[in-house]
Amino acid sequence: MSEVKNVGQAINRIDGIVKVTGTATYATDYILKNTAHAVIFKSTIAAGKITKMDTTDAEKSAGVLAVITHKNAPKLNAKGGIRGGALLQSPDIEFYGQHIGVVVAETFEQARYAAKLVKVTYEKGEAKVDFAKHAKEAVLPKEEEKADAIRGDVESAFNNAEFKMEAVYETPIEHHNPMEPHSTIAFWEGEKVTLYNGSQIVNGAQTAAAATLNIKPENVRIVTPHIGGGFGSKGGQWANLVLTAVAAKTVNRPVKLALTRQQMFNSVGLRQKNQQKIRLAATKDGKLTALAHETTTHSAINNEFVEPCGDCSKVMYETPNSLISYRVVPMNIILPTYTRGPGKSTGSFALESAMDELAYQLKIDPIEFRIKNEPAKDPSNGKPWSSRTTVQCLQEGAKAFGWEKRKMEPRQQEQGEYLIGYGVACGSYPARQRDTSAIVKLSRKGSDVKATIELAASDLGTGTHTIIAQTASDALGIPIKNITVHIGDSSLPPAAGSVGSVGAASFANAVNDACNKITDELLAKSGKQFFARPTAASLMVSENIAEFQTRMDAKPPADADQYSAHSFNANFAEVWVNKYTGMVRVPRFLAVTGAGKILNPKTARSQIIGGCVWGIGMALTEESILDPRWGNFVTRSLAEYHVPSNLDIGKIETIFINEIDTKPNTLGVKGIGEVGIVGVAGAVANAIFNATGKRVRELPITPDKLL
Amino acid sequence: MRPFIYTPTSTVSAATQKLKANPHAKYLAGGTNLLDLMKEDVEKPTELVDITRLVLTEVKAITTGVNKGGITIGALGKNTDTANHPLIRQNFPLLTQSILAGASAQIRNMASNGGNLNQRTRCPYFYETSMPCNKREPGSGCGALEGINRMHAIFGWSQACVAVHPSDMCVALAALDAVVKVQGADGKERSIPFTDYHRLPGDTPQKDNTLNPGELITSIEIPINNFANTSYYLKVRDRASYAFALISVAAGVELEGTRIKQAKIALGGVAHKPWRALEAEKFLIGKEATEANFKQAAELEMKSAKPLEHNEFKIELGKRAITRALMQAMTGGKA
Repeated sequence: MSEVKNVGQAINRIDGIVKVTGTATYATDYILKNTAHAVIFKSTIAAGKITKMDTTDAEKSAGVLAVITHKNAPKLNAKGGIRGGALLQSPDIEFYGQHIGVVVAETFEQARYAAKLVKVTYEKGEAKVDFAKHAKEAVLPKEEEKADAIRGDVESAFNNAEFKMEAVYETPIEHHNPMEPHSTIAFWEGEKVTLYNGSQIVNGAQTAAAATLNIKPENVRIVTPHIGGGFGSKGGQWANLVLTAVAAKTVNRPVKLALTRQQMFNSVGLRQKNQQKIRLAATKDGKLTALAHETTTHSAINNEFVEPCGDCSKVMYETPNSLISYRVVPMNIILPTYTRGPGKSTGSFALESAMDELAYQLKIDPIEFRIKNEPAKDPSNGKPWSSRTTVQCLQEGAKAFGWEKRKMEPRQQEQGEYLIGYGVACGSYPARQRDTSAIVKLSRKGSDVKATIELAASDLGTGTHTIIAQTASDALGIPIKNITVHIGDSSLPPAAGSVGSVGAASFANAVNDACNKITDELLAKSGKQFFARPTAASLMVSENIAEFQTRMDAKPPADADQYSAHSFNANFAEVWVNKYTGMVRVPRFLAVTGAGKILNPKTARSQIIGGCVWGIGMALTEESILDPRWGNFVTRSLAEYHVPSNLDIGKIETIFINEIDTKPNTLGVKGIGEVGIVGVAGAVANAIFNATGKRVRELPITPDKLL
Repeated sequence: MRPFIYTPTSTVSAATQKLKANPHAKYLAGGTNLLDLMKEDVEKPTELVDITRLVLTEVKAITTGVNKGGITIGALGKNTDTANHPLIRQNFPLLTQSILAGASAQIRNMASNGGNLNQRTRCPYFYETSMPCNKREPGSGCGALEGINRMHAIFGWSQACVAVHPSDMCVALAALDAVVKVQGADGKERSIPFTDYHRLPGDTPQKDNTLNPGELITSIEIPINNFANTSYYLKVRDRASYAFALISVAAGVELEGTRIKQAKIALGGVAHKPWRALEAEKFLIGKEATEANFKQAAELEMKSAKPLEHNEFKIELGKRAITRALMQAMTGGKA
């Protein structure tokens, strides 16, 4: 084995240089000869149908090559796996800003201008866009996982409890807004189409595009070595991907299509608005006796997606009586989708706020209250934990944060014009490994052995390239500089996606297994017995082999399902609330995370910081507001949709719990992408209560809510 | 973007002549607002007259005449340079603070002083061309009046328009009694008191200001004042940077002993123009500079506010912001 271990070291990302020098190729960075430019145009009503579409002026406009609408678009398979419809298959309008056509022109400016020349006449239908008005029409979701989950008798436990709380928490629609808007270059070679397109799930993008375009998967190639963020919005693929392919086919040239920032708000999904009713009951000494978490939300008119807000409530605390339920109302709003920490980030805001409220009522420290209700096994299914670090996260965090300075009563700390408060909130996210294949190729010149690792993994900017190189380096005995990582291409062996915190566990274990396999094969090939297991690199040299390769189809451990495996965290926030203006600052935030083996503490830290920033944004600034009359978003750019600015973010510290948990997978990697945002908003909201005595249950907590 | 003619110019008279010749032409300076609006198809000029080569960038002290001791700021000076000019930092810190509270560093580096005055509202209904907006398309209605109007006006709005002027710099200029110098195609110069420069919407919200067609801002004059060290710009917003004001207050307090000789107060984020808080100013004359008096002044000023469905909070916030800004002004924000 190699002497210097790379896994677990905070090494710089291996793709850092190409990124900071601007040579990393994102989807639209590929320069293809003769590329035409496409611009999407959109509906200006939320429900109804197009009765007339006059494209004459647009078609005659300078540089225009084609105008594609429902009248001339090829027949596509709407059930092929592209999310959110809008495939130009009918005149029906289901939400404001639905794609209704594509203009292809020689230049982007020509296409954008011509798109404005299309005249559309609508027959307006009745649009359901006001959630407040339609929430009462919500019904049980069709999805099996969203059926009512009932243990014991919540109602009687709640009614008979001495200490209880009931409250409704509201979270608004949010948008992912990755730095790189969704964009695609498509070009056809005969029956085959290549799509440069940011894709969190490379093979998923390939199969969805193929099925929708009614062609074979092997005729679609997705290329996505670098992705400028996605946060779930590039997990499933949306109509813009296949419409680029359609446009390229129509004009028989490469076509580039990039959504504008404004178009991003009704093109690629969103985090739905949730109304979460929480009821908690406890004994006088702080043992929970009931936990009910009832979520009401909305989905698209013809498609259901419900983020699992009750998930954290299923696993975080011991209680004999529990109810988790969902109700959903179809509305004329684009299909919601996975958004960082789906369900858990929003659900934990509700649950962890409620825990804070009841702890305050009981006059028990909120950390102690949580520890009192620590479950010995997964309350939702009775499975043993593979490991559980909640208590450790809370205790180590409390020490590092200086929690002992917090006062139980609010409004006890003041400095100048600020009220100061501390808050804590916990989170969790399931740890899973998914099937992933990988090819390892070794080549040798003299004693210099190089490796190429190939798999259709993706790198959202989180460090996939780097952790694969680290893993392979250790497993093969080859220095990182001699390892080439080739990912983000559907022609490579199929891999899991960078979604649901499965990426690192799936990629690293598959690569590790592949490297072990190639070492086994080299050993067998040598026919020799070794006292200590040699590395693949040393075998290449000792056996004088020039080139060698193998493929591994890795699977999670057979017994992984016997355990309940999660990453856990505890979040600590210090907030300063301006007494006069209600403006909130977060000068200090600490996230303590138990996520098994941390492959690279540097990229992991960055990812947790990103989660904290978004969580702080969720708590304080982010909200997409619909006009309830027309269904358009009035927050339609990053000037109105407020993500935190640099000045909003203070010092963020991260601590990783040192733990070894190899039950979920061989390397003990549990994933950090999702859990990084879970619990963050709750910690901020709880700190605001501690600072001001005001309990704000409706996010974001903007200054007007604190007057 | 619609096709347009690009016309570079090098003198004020050439520029104004170009606009006289083409009523659909617009001046192009920093372009930080105009180009965005053109991309969104809100502004549709057929010609852009580039004035960036005009020599109108100087900041200089006024050494003669009634405004001696004041300062004149070139219309094409960049916001960043203006904010950081030593004379302005020293004598008009209120202006510095207000400019630096606006936009982002990148935008301030591009944006011109004249353009800051002429920037258009950020009302989302103005930007979204499928929505009604009397400012963009007179007669189409006001989308915000009964729509999402949390960011909108509480003073001086009309049934035709409830938009607010987005500038921070202009709020300070209103409090500083600045004067806008303009020149028309006929070569004639005109001085417009700052508080008369922007207008209330009335029935013609398409007109943001009182410039005549083709007139060009050449400079902004600010008279000397006695509150350089007792002034403060307070901006309340949804995030710490790069957000438009929920409410902003530019406050200058001239003292005579412990009493207030005069106070200059202007509010941003509340009206179609920077809103001079004349009621509050009047009340404060001769009063002791105490928090109680500031609070009473603020109460008086907010009495005439008329909130819309989503912005009632601006009344309480306005009271607090005025009081707080005046308190901060007493120490020049160094409290």
